[in-house]
Amino acid sequence: MTQLIWNGLFVGSFYALIALGYSMVYGIIKLLNFAHGDIYMLGAFVGFAMLTSVGVIPASMSITALLIVLLLCMIVTGGIGVGIEYLAYRPLRNSPRLAVLITAVGASFTLEYGVSAVAGPNPKVFPVRLEGDSFTVLGARISVPQLVLMVIAVVLMWGLNSYIQRTSMGRAMRAIALDTKGALLMGINVNKVITWTFFIGSALAGAAGVMAGAYYGKIDFLMGFIIGLKAFTAAVIGGIGNIKGAMLGGLLLGLLEAFGSQWLGGQWRDVFTFGVLIAFLTLKPTGLLGERVTERV
Amino acid sequence: MKLRIPKALAVGAVAAAMLATTGCGGILGGGGDKTADSGPIKIAAVIPMSGSSAPTGVYMKNGMQMAVDEINAKGGVLGRQLSLDLEDGACDPTQAAAAANKAVSNGAVISVGGYCSGATLPTLPIFAKANIPMIIPAANSQELVNQKLPNVFMINGTGSQQAAAAVKFMAKDGVKSVALVDDNTSYSKDIATETKKDLQADGTVKVALATSVTAGESDYSSAVHDIMGANPDMLYWTGYYQEGGLIINQLKAAGYKGKIMVADGSVDPSLVKIAGAANAEGVFATMTQTPDTIKGAETWIANYTKAFGSAPGPYSTQSYDAVRVAAEAMTQAKGTGGDAVIKALAGIDGFQIFSGPLKFTPEHTLSSGGFQILVVQGGKFILKDALA
Repeated sequence: MTQLIWNGLFVGSFYALIALGYSMVYGIIKLLNFAHGDIYMLGAFVGFAMLTSVGVIPASMSITALLIVLLLCMIVTGGIGVGIEYLAYRPLRNSPRLAVLITAVGASFTLEYGVSAVAGPNPKVFPVRLEGDSFTVLGARISVPQLVLMVIAVVLMWGLNSYIQRTSMGRAMRAIALDTKGALLMGINVNKVITWTFFIGSALAGAAGVMAGAYYGKIDFLMGFIIGLKAFTAAVIGGIGNIKGAMLGGLLLGLLEAFGSQWLGGQWRDVFTFGVLIAFLTLKPTGLLGERVTERV
Repeated sequence: MKLRIPKALAVGAVAAAMLATTGCGGILGGGGDKTADSGPIKIAAVIPMSGSSAPTGVYMKNGMQMAVDEINAKGGVLGRQLSLDLEDGACDPTQAAAAANKAVSNGAVISVGGYCSGATLPTLPIFAKANIPMIIPAANSQELVNQKLPNVFMINGTGSQQAAAAVKFMAKDGVKSVALVDDNTSYSKDIATETKKDLQADGTVKVALATSVTAGESDYSSAVHDIMGANPDMLYWTGYYQEGGLIINQLKAAGYKGKIMVADGSVDPSLVKIAGAANAEGVFATMTQTPDTIKGAETWIANYTKAFGSAPGPYSTQSYDAVRVAAEAMTQAKGTGGDAVIKALAGIDGFQIFSGPLKFTPEHTLSSGGFQILVVQGGKFILKDALA
């Protein structure tokens, strides 16, 4: 039981990190950024490229090296996210919603097969793998790497939350989410804020990518697809557009999967998880923490 | 209006000319061929060149290309050169069906592709309708056999033959309980179901757990949790190597002490890399013959490595053989007409391929699957038990 909870929380924290990017972007420009899962994949590949170019890293240094690479990767993927927004989404900002949605799908495929063309379609094995002892807490087997990654994820999420709550840029983001035109009239530089949003969201997804590469050990150019869908689901469960909701949704999805698999068997895990999702959304369409938006006429 | 009349006339003239030439061809060829009797013989292959199975597609492509080059260097078949028409099936049923249609309209006379069973299945009726013989090098789900199409020949062992080999080894190895895990694809589910059936019929080995995972994910902790709970003597993973490597890694990290066996889709050097060399050590596999386990294949491996700059992998040999079998059948049929080639294929007896002398069963499968047990030792798959 405790093992299931731990497993669920661990996977859930990955979902949560990626879900944050979905939710932030949706909250601000009402765009479902389907390329977001592929930013996660890009993060893993950028990390892979950096670590391989450094050469052999002694085991004692692996955590330090990984943290440095993690930070660098966040900057790179953040930059790529900003680039995608600038090239693919900004020109379409006032176009019909469907056009932007399809552009996002296009951006997703471009990233996937671009990486496949550059790095090759074969899966890559991450040069640094987090390995460590494990210990038992209340019957759950917890390993040191899992703990390290959980701590990193929590720190990142906590940092994001205080950034949005406490800084003026965060306030501007919340203002745009409430009313874009109003924010513009109040003198907020909307473009700059949107750029920042993409930077932060993509940096978090990139961080998750590096962490997944280091923990699971295998990366490939399609690794962002399923997890992207799951993170999107998590964002919707939590109430899309809501930051805390995205975190909560991610953890909840992880737990649902762990328990679904245990109760009904692996074949039924996704049926169970998404069945619950459908039931949940019919009862509460706004998600856990989402607020009903009243249409202004 | 003025332009239309000459246009119609021109079209009419071209059509008449075409009718005349095909008519002539029919008379001169005598074999009733639909395709041109000169120029290269088109061999189609629908294999994955994108998507998660793309790495294996490369092994297959190179194997086929090598056979085509060798045959062409010796003067081709029936005095004509062979030309390979590779189409990307992406391991996806929709894409594979489109690719097969494209191959047919390109004028292929024989098909040597087929890797993912799920994606190969919808290509069967397309080739059958065009009366194009298919020699399937890798896809081996029982589903493909169950279609009972006269044009389909399989030179890889079938799922039930693989399951039989797995069960045989489990009993031999003294395993008392087994966990079966598949990835919900046609190929993988097929082996798992057949193994379960065989085990239950046999009765000596207990099925402690039969479950599925979703391919393409990274975290398999829930499957690992279930396996740890079932505590089997052996895990039999019937999916592909990407997920297989992750599951082995995560199982070992969770403290799993039992044995592990994987099916042929997981036999790839990458499995060891993904799982970690120490974790993969001692993992068994049910596998048809690979270049590494075939005696006397060293020269072949050297030639392949020289030609493509990398070592052959799974299904390189079967793909190579598929082209050779196709060439042999066309030579025996003295033509490329579908009916004659199918008859020639069914009649092949003793043609040497990597898995031994070839003779198809009435179901058009190999008379023996040729499955053997490999084991990972020193980071490489080596022969453990030929199950002879």
